[in-house]
Amino acid sequence: MTDGGDRMVDEGDPNTGRAGALDEGAAAEVTTAAATLEPYEVFRQEKDGDPMRHGGNVMAPDPELALHYAREMFSRRGESVRLWVVRRADIGVLEDLDLLQPPLDRSFKKPGGYVMRDKLAAARERAGTSKPGARAASHDRTGRRGTDGSDTHASGDTPGEDPLV
Amino acid sequence: MTDPVALDPVLSPQDRSARPWNDDLDHDERFALFEAHVLAGGKIEPNDWMPDEYRTAVLRFVEMHANSELMGVLPEREWIMRAPTLKRKLALTAKVQDEVGHAQLLYRVAEDLGKSREAMYDDLLAGKTKFHNVFHYPTRTWADIGIIAWLVDAAAIVAQQALRDSSYGPYARTMQKICWEESVHIMHGRDVVVTMMTGTDSQRAMVQEALDRWWGPLMQMHGPRSDRAKDRDLHWRIKAKTSEELRQEFLTIYVPRLLELGLVIPDPALAFDDEAGEWRYTDPDWAELRTVVTNHGPMSEERLEFRRVNRAATTWVREAILAEKRAVA
Amino acid sequence: MTAKGITPETVPALAEFLLSMADDEFVIGFSDSEWTGIAPILEEDVAMSSIAQDELGHARALYELLADLLADGRDADALAYDREPDAYRHARLLEHGRGDWATTMARRFLYDTADAARLASIGEGWPPLADLVAKIRREERYHLMHVTAWANRLAAAGGEARSRFVSALEALAVDAPSVISAPEGEAELVAAGILSRPMADAATEWRQEVVRILGPLDISLTLDADPAPRDIGRVPSADFQWLWGEFTSVRRSEVGATW
Repeated sequence: MTDGGDRMVDEGDPNTGRAGALDEGAAAEVTTAAATLEPYEVFRQEKDGDPMRHGGNVMAPDPELALHYAREMFSRRGESVRLWVVRRADIGVLEDLDLLQPPLDRSFKKPGGYVMRDKLAAARERAGTSKPGARAASHDRTGRRGTDGSDTHASGDTPGEDPLV
Repeated sequence: MTDPVALDPVLSPQDRSARPWNDDLDHDERFALFEAHVLAGGKIEPNDWMPDEYRTAVLRFVEMHANSELMGVLPEREWIMRAPTLKRKLALTAKVQDEVGHAQLLYRVAEDLGKSREAMYDDLLAGKTKFHNVFHYPTRTWADIGIIAWLVDAAAIVAQQALRDSSYGPYARTMQKICWEESVHIMHGRDVVVTMMTGTDSQRAMVQEALDRWWGPLMQMHGPRSDRAKDRDLHWRIKAKTSEELRQEFLTIYVPRLLELGLVIPDPALAFDDEAGEWRYTDPDWAELRTVVTNHGPMSEERLEFRRVNRAATTWVREAILAEKRAVA
Repeated sequence: MTAKGITPETVPALAEFLLSMADDEFVIGFSDSEWTGIAPILEEDVAMSSIAQDELGHARALYELLADLLADGRDADALAYDREPDAYRHARLLEHGRGDWATTMARRFLYDTADAARLASIGEGWPPLADLVAKIRREERYHLMHVTAWANRLAAAGGEARSRFVSALEALAVDAPSVISAPEGEAELVAAGILSRPMADAATEWRQEVVRILGPLDISLTLDADPAPRDIGRVPSADFQWLWGEFTSVRRSEVGATW
């Protein structure tokens, strides 16, 4: 889904953004006249254990020199321990929000969909018990003790609310 | 804290695609939504729809910046050969290498806006696009190298720091990386100057003489005062500060640092006006600036010709390694 | 610092050897740094500049080692800069200027491969040198990768590119073995374990490596089986005299000044 290497543009899907001013004629000109140096995206790792993170891109005639140039632009001062170098034209892009953020309710798939505060309060009242202390072990997925069991991966959850208490 | 080396953080689809103006609307609606986003401090990414005015303005701005890095290599290049110690030789080579790297980063930003690298070189070498005034002047002594690395880079970094929050995302991020790298250049330049100022009488005189020649172009570098209300680059948040704001900032930081070395700034009218809260100075020669940036500076044509000759001499290399790639999809 | 474990008899041979290696790195680094800002592709410009800086860094480290060994008051800069042109000990290969891109690549190819064989001949006899060489060899890996990538591409491109590259290799082949020539006092250096083998053996390995890389590209070079030792006191080439004039100009303008 590229227009010849310089830009990632989805031509078929009307829902994704399309840069209007770059017309087809201009794109074709870029592809043929430039005798194709191609863009290669570079992902870098700052130190052992870090995730790979996009650092930028280089122009190169082929994958081997792209590696050399990536090293120059992103580690000539020794600032990376690993680089992934990928031809931009080879990167698949998914930006379709219908697929990535479908509109109907999916709260059953997220912690925020299981708010039990009121129900638990009612159950305790009925049983004549009180809320367990903060030191009670909970199978908190984040591994942290205490009441802040918020799942950092779920969006839309109330911060600070431990769904298991 | 932003990783100074990262250029393009992985943006979520929401940031990139769910722009209200990217939907199919009529032009005026899109323009209004786009403008509102920018004026509210929002960023624009390469895949976003942009009004022609914005795209053209960013491209022109970035292209001139890229051209300046590329041409800025030449005044210093000849002194790489003459660097008087191993450390200075390494530092200057690394500095010039960084400028080439900056040209690469900036041409990349411009390329992704739709103009090919070759087209930009064509326009630069044909004199159709410009590069900053300071790179049209000769470097006459080793002291020039210290003064340029220190003060020209400092004036540039004052401008570049103000660009780190540019509305055009790729440019803003590139500025963050460039500012991080430029800080080393300024230290190198200042070290060269301070070393000479603690050296022999003729070294000190060499520095003063270089400052005498470079002060004029430095004062012109940020450009004439402009009307904030009429400045479209400011309107689109491509840049954030006016020429005068940048010049004042430069003077505030660097005048004391020059004076403390015992250097004389060759403008008797230069003084800080406490009441007005700004520096007063002899009006720079704007006619000189216009003459120079239209490629009539002392070294303009020689440097452009050098680049033309060099480009022609290396065409066979590019053709050779790109030969197999000629077949186009 | 007197080199521990090095006999006084070995010092002159070691000093001469260090000087020739340092001068090689210095001259090629200086010469190749001329490409900074004007290489054929922007990205390649940055790469070439890094390689040139690496060579200068190696030169600096070698001059520093030599300064420690000689302990005669000269520092690395004095050793690098304050000699007349005919007192430099770089290999004849490096008397040639950088020329066009093909010449630069041909010279780099011949130099980097020969230098690799030379570095592989450094033994444990003097630990400071052995330690430094271990680091240098790690950096040189990139140089070999890069120049081989270019050799492959220029040769495979055919036409003008290939013919420029092959012509340059052939022209430089005459002087290429000078990099790996037997140093004066080689016998002492081998006896002291500073060299793990005579340079003639390194040269054999080097020639095999050249064939291994250039053979598949259909390029064959005649590399002199008996390289002449470095000509002490030879008249420096015009290219080198020019280079010397440039790199000493500022320093000579104010002798003794700090820069």
